[in-house]
Amino acid sequence: MELETDQVGHAGVVRVRGRLTMAAAGELKAAVDREVAAGRTLVVIDLAGTTFLDSSGLGALVGGLRSARAAGGDLRIAGVGPQVRTVLELTTMDRVLRPYASVEDAAGDGR
Amino acid sequence: MTGTGAREQDRLEALHRLGVVDTPPEDRFDRVVRLARQLFGVPTALVSLVDRDVVVHKAMSGFDERVVRREDSFCHTAVQSDGMLVVEDASADPRFAANPFVAQPDGLRFYAGQPLVAPGGFRVGTLCIADHRPREFPPESAALLRDLAAWVEKELVIDSELERAAQVQAGLLPRTPPDVPGYQVAGACLPSRAVGGDFYDWAATEDGVVLSLVDVMGKGAAAGIMAASVRAVLRGSAHGAEVAQSLLYAGAILHGDLSGAGVFATAFHAALDAATGEVTYADAGHGLTVVLRADGTDERLPATGLPLGVLDEEAREQRTVRLGPGDLLVAFSDGALDVVDGSTAAVPVVVDAVRGARSADAAVEAVLRLAVDLRDRPDDLTVVALRRDG
Repeated sequence: MELETDQVGHAGVVRVRGRLTMAAAGELKAAVDREVAAGRTLVVIDLAGTTFLDSSGLGALVGGLRSARAAGGDLRIAGVGPQVRTVLELTTMDRVLRPYASVEDAAGDGR
Repeated sequence: MTGTGAREQDRLEALHRLGVVDTPPEDRFDRVVRLARQLFGVPTALVSLVDRDVVVHKAMSGFDERVVRREDSFCHTAVQSDGMLVVEDASADPRFAANPFVAQPDGLRFYAGQPLVAPGGFRVGTLCIADHRPREFPPESAALLRDLAAWVEKELVIDSELERAAQVQAGLLPRTPPDVPGYQVAGACLPSRAVGGDFYDWAATEDGVVLSLVDVMGKGAAAGIMAASVRAVLRGSAHGAEVAQSLLYAGAILHGDLSGAGVFATAFHAALDAATGEVTYADAGHGLTVVLRADGTDERLPATGLPLGVLDEEAREQRTVRLGPGDLLVAFSDGALDVVDGSTAAVPVVVDAVRGARSADAAVEAVLRLAVDLRDRPDDLTVVALRRDG
């Protein structure tokens, strides 16, 4: 997995390329925590390049969501592909991690 | 060893607690002796375990007697003291000159053995090297042998702890199926490592049976610790309550522990009313339960709420599905999805595998058989089946 961070408006953007599994979960969580610590409490995870998500990867997203919300912000996901969407729906996690159509949508104020 | 009987008894118990004396050769020890033989350029390297009357060679390279008499073994002498035993020429050493391994043709001359210390400080065996020619053993070689011995000690302990944890965890699974007239219940759990984060549970009730299947995120010992907590809490909250209510209670109690550890758990929790065939279920983000009808149709039961440990929820939903004669309900963990590509594309494969199973046992075996073909099972695999007699 490769991570890239970026900013869109006030939001911190973390792009995830490759497989988001147990091996990569810690790294993603740390990247989200860095964004939140830098004051960018709205974090957008761009999953357009994510080929596979397992339960540990999902755990990292939930952990990031918790950090962001604790700081008064939010974590949003965008660019969700079919495999990631299936995992979100299976676990009903799409209720708390609602997929946004694009990073720009997710980074906007509108919900 | 001090040589007193009680101390020797404790030493033997420490040795046997490691669980390596009566078990087959293992590559993790064989690897060390092969390496030692190469590093020191000697014909023989052994991992020896000094038992009551014999010395067992747990790993050997350049030697083929698995068990030798204790009094004949140099390793028996080596475990008498803390330091390494080095014998540069046994034929010139009055302690060993008459030893049968030395006195035989082309007999042993050089021996260096580092005691292996088990938890409690007991010297249970050695890592040793030997040669049929006399040799000198400089300090840098001795340091290397000690390092290799420390590696073997670590392997001995890791195994015994994990193995005992695995036994304890296996003991937490139900031993016998519940007696529910007109129905069969079966389950199985295969951790991908010694211990894992999956479990299933059941308990007979007045009306039928309560079944659960839980998958704690992650794998290995960390997931196993959390799984044991979830099991205990879910058992405690299951008594007499509706399934959604007991899952809600369990979630409320576990939320802090799970979210604090940065993990979540998915759960399928169901109660059967045997008289009507109605199965009331609450599903916390699991979503991998299928019902196969006697008429050949099937349906997947979607999750009714979030996994445990995500949000501290205020309510949980439950739904009901009715099992007619010959109908089969199978819940499985996402380890079964690895039979395809880890995605839900595997669900129809699992359904096809269990279709036509004439018993709950047969259904469980069919799912396990799918996984047997996986060379490297990356995730824990757990299955529970409930079948109404046809």
